[in-house]
Amino acid sequence: MTEDVIATRARALAGALAEAGFARLRVRDGETEIELRRAPRNGAAPGSVFAPAAGAEAAAAEKPPERVADMVSSDVVGIVRLLRPAITEGQDLEGDRELAYVETLGIRNPVRSRGAGHVLAVFVTEGQPVEYGQPLFAIER
Amino acid sequence: MFKKVLIANRGEIALRINRACHELGVATVAIFSDADRLSLHVRHADEAFCVGPGPVMRSYLNIPNIISAALISGCDAVHPGYGFLAENARFAEIAKDHGLTFIGPSPAVIGAMGDKATAKRLMAEAGVPTTPGSGIVANADEARAVCQKIGYPVLLKATAGGGGKGMRAVTAPEELATAFATAQAEAEASFKDGRMYVEKLILNPRHIEVQVLADEHGGVVHLGERDCSVQKPSHQKLIEEAPAPELDPAVRERLHDVATTAARAVGYTNAGTLEFLVAGDDVYFMEMNTRIQVEHPVTELIYGVDLVKEQIRVAAGEHLGFTQDDLQAHGHSIEVRVNAEDPNNNFAPAAGTLSTVVFPGGPGIRVDTHVYGGAIVPPFYDSMLAKIIAVGRTRESAILRMERALSETHIEGVNTTVGFCRELLAEPEFRAGGIGVGWLPAYLARRAAAV
Repeated sequence: MTEDVIATRARALAGALAEAGFARLRVRDGETEIELRRAPRNGAAPGSVFAPAAGAEAAAAEKPPERVADMVSSDVVGIVRLLRPAITEGQDLEGDRELAYVETLGIRNPVRSRGAGHVLAVFVTEGQPVEYGQPLFAIER
Repeated sequence: MFKKVLIANRGEIALRINRACHELGVATVAIFSDADRLSLHVRHADEAFCVGPGPVMRSYLNIPNIISAALISGCDAVHPGYGFLAENARFAEIAKDHGLTFIGPSPAVIGAMGDKATAKRLMAEAGVPTTPGSGIVANADEARAVCQKIGYPVLLKATAGGGGKGMRAVTAPEELATAFATAQAEAEASFKDGRMYVEKLILNPRHIEVQVLADEHGGVVHLGERDCSVQKPSHQKLIEEAPAPELDPAVRERLHDVATTAARAVGYTNAGTLEFLVAGDDVYFMEMNTRIQVEHPVTELIYGVDLVKEQIRVAAGEHLGFTQDDLQAHGHSIEVRVNAEDPNNNFAPAAGTLSTVVFPGGPGIRVDTHVYGGAIVPPFYDSMLAKIIAVGRTRESAILRMERALSETHIEGVNTTVGFCRELLAEPEFRAGGIGVGWLPAYLARRAAAV
């Protein structure tokens, strides 16, 4: 990924970060890793990519936890199909396993956890349309 | 009329289509790559879907993701723009299979025109003049017989050829045997296919193309011609104008007649362009582009027709809103392509952040662009940043207006073609009109020698 792409991708992820209430989030995408850190309460560092994220101020007041998570994002454009029973927040994953499907033109594209971990956040609901790169799950390793 | 259209493109043409849709009261869905997240076409559309990372194979050519975005968002049609999937018959077919109207001609026509040999044969059958030539010639003697019939100079071409490999120009019979042997050996080495054919070489022709528009009810019209002879050595167009200057009225009329006849003969629908080589009174069909073209605005400005809106209306099954007699051209229009490339370095494309972007305005000027101050030019795509189009009562007034417009244009952060195009507009040969496609390469050679 070029710097521009990383910057724009980070900006998109910042929203998800604020929503999940993490202080720190590491995102893996192929060979590239992006780490997002919430700005300190008073005064974000200049140029901080997630500073303008919506909801960041409100969440910062509660002193969010410091956690590191891998973001599992959608590789395709399609409709989210959760498993039955669905993967839920707080669930522990024993190894690499399916988390959901994204259905594209009738084809079910599996979404995998790529290893064991703890499900910190589920960002999508059953039947939700998602785009390429959209965060689906945050997995703490 | 459609309810919602997916725009399967980026850049200025995505904005152009978005504008046409919104003026027709049609909602729009943009697609974008990771590298285009902050692009203007994303902001202008009613909805937008990221379809992949920067490289085009995984985003703007990613058929499943693009079709999926259209279906998820409830679109009933897809506009492909130009480039990318615009002339991909399979994409048109897949769209149709998923209940989406492809805004363009039928997949069969796209496929036929996309294959050069088929297109040439169909056009010849429709009575369209094509470049004289042969089928496969087995050896130099067979080639010589063809050459005697069509006359020198000729081009020896490998059927599998590309990028100039396996191709030789021959100006006299005594050069033929050696040229044939070397071209064939090159073709065998490069493509493992030594089949050769002969085509008449047209020296320094003009590139003149005719815009056609056809509905699904048999209505076919032409919207005159465009002269796109100012081409870089890579054959990419740089300056286009309409109508073609210094063109014999009889040749002009013939081009228009041939274009509409050909469009009817192949059952063409929607907007299309027939490209011709013109040398004196001779006219040769080159290829047909089954899509809207980059340079369509010069036609729009002299005919007062919105070609993209007509594409959408026709695809929705409506009749053309006019007959040939209703169409009258007024004045002269010229377009300059503002590309992020360096004219002093073989037009090498540039990427980066545009620190300053100031476009011209005022009477008779139209700017079609997707860039703004601070915009990022990603390395993955076409280098065109903008099209500046000027219209005037006469060719001279349009050129003067363009010179004024280019003097108002300031783009910093990357090299552009703005200054170079001002230089070209001032050239007496360009001013006189009627130059051939060899003019710009020759000008560049003179310019390089002078430095």
